[in-house]
Amino acid sequence: MEKKKYKSKKAGETIALVLIYAVLIVISLVWLIPFFMLVILSFRGEAVGVSADYLFPKQWSFGNYVKLFTETKFPVWYGNTMLVSSVVTVLQTVIVLMTSYALSRLRFKMRKPLMNVMLILGMFPGFLSMTAVYFVLKEINLTQNLFGLILVFTASSAMQYYICKGFFDTIPKSLDEAARIDGASRHTIFVKIILPLAKPIIIYTILTAFIAPWGEYMFTSFIMLGDPDKFTVAVGMKSWLDNPTLAGDYFTVFCAAAVVVSIPITALFIWLQRYYVEGITGGSVKG
Amino acid sequence: MAEVSLKHVYKVYPNGTKAVSDFNMHIRDKEFIVFVGPSGCGKSTTLRMIAGLEDVSAGELKIGDLTVNDVEPKDRDIAMVFQNYALYPHMTVYENIAFGLRLKKLPKDEIHKRVVSAAEILGITEYLGKKPKEMSGGQRQRVALGRALVREPKVMLLDEPLSNLDAKLRTQMRAEISKLHQKLQTTFIYVTHDQVEAMTMGTRIVVMKNGFVQQIDTPKNLYNYPANKFVAGFIGTPQMNFFGGTLLKTGDEVTIDFGAAGAKITVPYAMLYKAQPKFLNGKTPVCIGIRAEDITLAPDGAAEGKTLIKVAVSHKEELGNETLVYGNINVGGDVYGENGSIIFKYSGGRDIQAGDVVKVSFNLDRLHLFDEETERSVLPRIPEYNYLECTVKEGKLTALGGEFDLPGAVKCPDGDYDLLVPTDAITFGKGVKAQTESCEDINGARLAALNIGGKRVYAVNDGCAEGAAVSVGFDFKKITLMSDGETVVSPMPDKNAIDCKFVKRKIVENEEVNGKTVRRKTVRFGFEIEGEFFGVSDAVSQKIFAALGIKNSLSSSLRLECGADGLTVCENGVAATAEETLDYGAEKFLKCRVGEREVFVATDKEYSGAVRVLPDFGKVGLVETTRDIKII
Repeated sequence: MEKKKYKSKKAGETIALVLIYAVLIVISLVWLIPFFMLVILSFRGEAVGVSADYLFPKQWSFGNYVKLFTETKFPVWYGNTMLVSSVVTVLQTVIVLMTSYALSRLRFKMRKPLMNVMLILGMFPGFLSMTAVYFVLKEINLTQNLFGLILVFTASSAMQYYICKGFFDTIPKSLDEAARIDGASRHTIFVKIILPLAKPIIIYTILTAFIAPWGEYMFTSFIMLGDPDKFTVAVGMKSWLDNPTLAGDYFTVFCAAAVVVSIPITALFIWLQRYYVEGITGGSVKG
Repeated sequence: MAEVSLKHVYKVYPNGTKAVSDFNMHIRDKEFIVFVGPSGCGKSTTLRMIAGLEDVSAGELKIGDLTVNDVEPKDRDIAMVFQNYALYPHMTVYENIAFGLRLKKLPKDEIHKRVVSAAEILGITEYLGKKPKEMSGGQRQRVALGRALVREPKVMLLDEPLSNLDAKLRTQMRAEISKLHQKLQTTFIYVTHDQVEAMTMGTRIVVMKNGFVQQIDTPKNLYNYPANKFVAGFIGTPQMNFFGGTLLKTGDEVTIDFGAAGAKITVPYAMLYKAQPKFLNGKTPVCIGIRAEDITLAPDGAAEGKTLIKVAVSHKEELGNETLVYGNINVGGDVYGENGSIIFKYSGGRDIQAGDVVKVSFNLDRLHLFDEETERSVLPRIPEYNYLECTVKEGKLTALGGEFDLPGAVKCPDGDYDLLVPTDAITFGKGVKAQTESCEDINGARLAALNIGGKRVYAVNDGCAEGAAVSVGFDFKKITLMSDGETVVSPMPDKNAIDCKFVKRKIVENEEVNGKTVRRKTVRFGFEIEGEFFGVSDAVSQKIFAALGIKNSLSSSLRLECGADGLTVCENGVAATAEETLDYGAEKFLKCRVGEREVFVATDKEYSGAVRVLPDFGKVGLVETTRDIKII
C-alpha cells in the first residue's frame, strides 16, 4: 500500500502564524509611525521650520512645551475644549442611556419608525446642517459662545442609541419583571438593575461622547470664527498652520500640543478600562 | 393567603390573536393549582396576567376581594418565580432576597430576620454572601424561591421553575416545592408543560390547549375521567392507546368494533348508560381509548372470548420492573403501522418476542370513548340529556311508566316522540316513583343515577341520597320533543340576548339653588338599546372600562345576556312587542320581541301588544360581539 504523505500540522501552524504576524507588524507600523514622529518632533530644540527631513532632534529640549503654555493661547483653548467635552460627555451619556433603555424596554406607538428615522438621520454627516444650525444659533445669540457649542453637540446625542440599545436588549427582560414584582419603579429598575449590569456599555458611551467634541474641528471653526478666545484646541492649532508665516515657527509647538491633547483621552481610557469586566451578567439567568 | 378568581378572562393581542379565551376558574385558598399544556397554549400568559405583567384584555381578575385588572404587580401581593431564575447578577444572594423588602422600606432588622429565616427554610444560609454566578442551577432556583417567599405573598406564582434543571435535581426540587407549599399554607399557581410535575404536585390541574381550558380537575379525576381526547392523550405515560371504531347496541349488549383492524369486543350496555343514543347506532365514528396499564396479557391458551383482542408484537422496551410491549391489533396488516398501534405493560412471566401474536384483554371499567368529530367524551361524568321515549295524547304525556299533564306552553300533535330531558330538568317531588341507585359528587354538583321501572335516568340534584325512593317529574321548559330527527318542541332558551351599545350622555339639568336657576351638566354612562338610553351604576361602567379600555368601550357593539328572571315588564323599559304568554304550570313567561330578537320574561300577568321590558343591569352578562368576548 502506498504511504500517503501528510504535511506536519505543527509546521503548517507556524507558517500561518508567521504570515499573520508579518501583516500585523506592517499595519501597526503604518499606524504608529505618525504618532511616534509627533512625540519625537515635539522635543526638537532647533528651529528649522516645517521639516521632517530628519527624525531625531539635534538638540533635545522641552522648549516647545514651555512656549506652548506661556506664549500661546493654547491653555485657554485647552480649557475651552475640556469644559465643552466634559459637559457634553455627562449630558450625552445620560441621554443616550435613557433613550436606549426606553427604546429597549418600553413599547409605544411609532417606536420602530422612530428608531429608523433616528438611525438614518444619524448617518448623515453633521456638517450638512452646519449653515442652518449656524443661523439658528445666531438668532438666539449663541454664536461665539461655548454654551452654543455644548448645545449643538448634546442636541443630537440620542441618535447614538443604537449600540447601547443592542446591549440593553441582551439583558433578560425577566430581570425587569422580577424587579417590578419586587416593587421597583421603572426608574429604580433602570438605576439599580440595568445600569450596574451595563458598565461596559456605559464606558463605551462615555468614551465616544468625550472624544467627539474633543477633536471636532469643522463645526467649531464655523461657530467660533473670529474669536480666538473661544477656540477649541483643534481650531486653535489649525489656525497656526493656516498662516504660512507662522507655520514654520509653530511646527514643533504644534507637535507638542498634539501630545498634550492626546493625554486626557489616554488617561480616560486607562482609568475606565478596568470596568470592562467580561461576563458581568453571568449567573443571572440561564440561557 | 387568598383566593384567586378569574371570570371570563381573555388575552387578545393587537393583531387579533386570542392567546387565552374565556378562562373561568375559582382558586380556593391554599390550593396548589397547576396550569399544564403544550407550548403556546396560553398557560404562561394566564399566569403573567395574574402577576400583572400582561394586561387582561377582557374579564375580571380578583385576588382576595380586590379586582386587580388595573393594579400594579407590586400592589397585588403576589410573588413570582421565573423559569430562568431572573436573579440580579450584581447583587449577592442576601441582597437579591432583600431587594423587594428594601424597596418596601422595611426596618433593617426586620429584613435581616426575614432573609435569614427564608434562607434557613431553603437551606442556602451558607451562600448568602455569594453572587448568583458562583452557584449551581438548583441553588439559584432556591434563591429565586427565597426572594419570592420573603415577600410573604398571598399568592405564589411559579412559571416553569424546574425546566432548566437536570432530571435528578428536578425530582428533588419538586418534592421541596410541595413541602414548601405545605409549610407556607399559601395559594400556589404553578405553570409547567411536564404532566408528571402537574400530576405529582397539583391539588387541582388546569389542562389548556390553544388558549382554551380543556378540563379543570384533581389529578386523579383527570386521569380517570378525561373530558376529551386531548386530555386523555396528554395525561399519562405512555400515551393512551387510541383506536377508531364504532359502537352498536343490540339488546343489553354493545359491540365495540375496532373498524379497519377487524377486532371486536362486546360489553354490557350498563357500561354505556351515559352515552347518547346516536353513538350506539353502529355508524357514528368514535375513538376508543385505553391506557397501557389497563391492558392485561391473557394466558396463552385462553379461549377466544368476547373481550379478547389479538395483538401482533412489533417490539418491546424492558424497563426493569415491567415491560412495554408495542404492537398492532391489526394482526394481518402492517405491525408498525399507525392505525391500530397499541402499547401495553406487563411484568414478569412470559417471554414475548417481536413477531408473536398474543391475546390481551381490556379492563372495561377503564375504557374511554370519545366522539371522533368533537373529541369530547362519549361518556361525560354528568351526561347532558336523558334520552327517553314518550307518547303525547290529549294533553297528556306518557313517559317512564307515568302520565304527566302537559302545560299550555308545550304544544304538539298527538303521537310518539323522542324525549330529551336535561339532567337538571328532572325534578324531585311528585311524579313517577324512582329508586336512587347511586349518588356521586362531581365538581360541586351531585349526580343521582335513578332506576325508573328498569330504565336508567340521571338527575342533577343536591337532595339525592343513595338508596332513597323518590318521585320525579320534568321541568317542561327545558325539555325537547323530537320526531324522526325533527324538533317538534324546543326548550325555552335559558338566556335572553339584547343588542346594545355602551354610550356616554351629557345630561343638562336646571336646578334651583338659593332662588337662582343653575344649569348643571352631568355625564352619565349607560346602554343604548333600540335608540333609548338606560343609565347604569358606576360599578357596571367600571367593569366595562376595565374590560375594554375607556376608548374602545364607547365604540364596541355589545350583547346583553340575562335569564328570563333578569327581565321585568315595567314602564321605563325597552320597547317590545308581546307575542304570547307561555304557561309552564308553576311558572309563566311572556314571549316578546325586542328589535330582531325574541326574549322571554318571567311574569305572572298576561300582556299583549306593545310593552316595555327592563333588564336588571346589575345582573346581566355582557358580550362584546365583534371579538365574541364575554366581559361581565
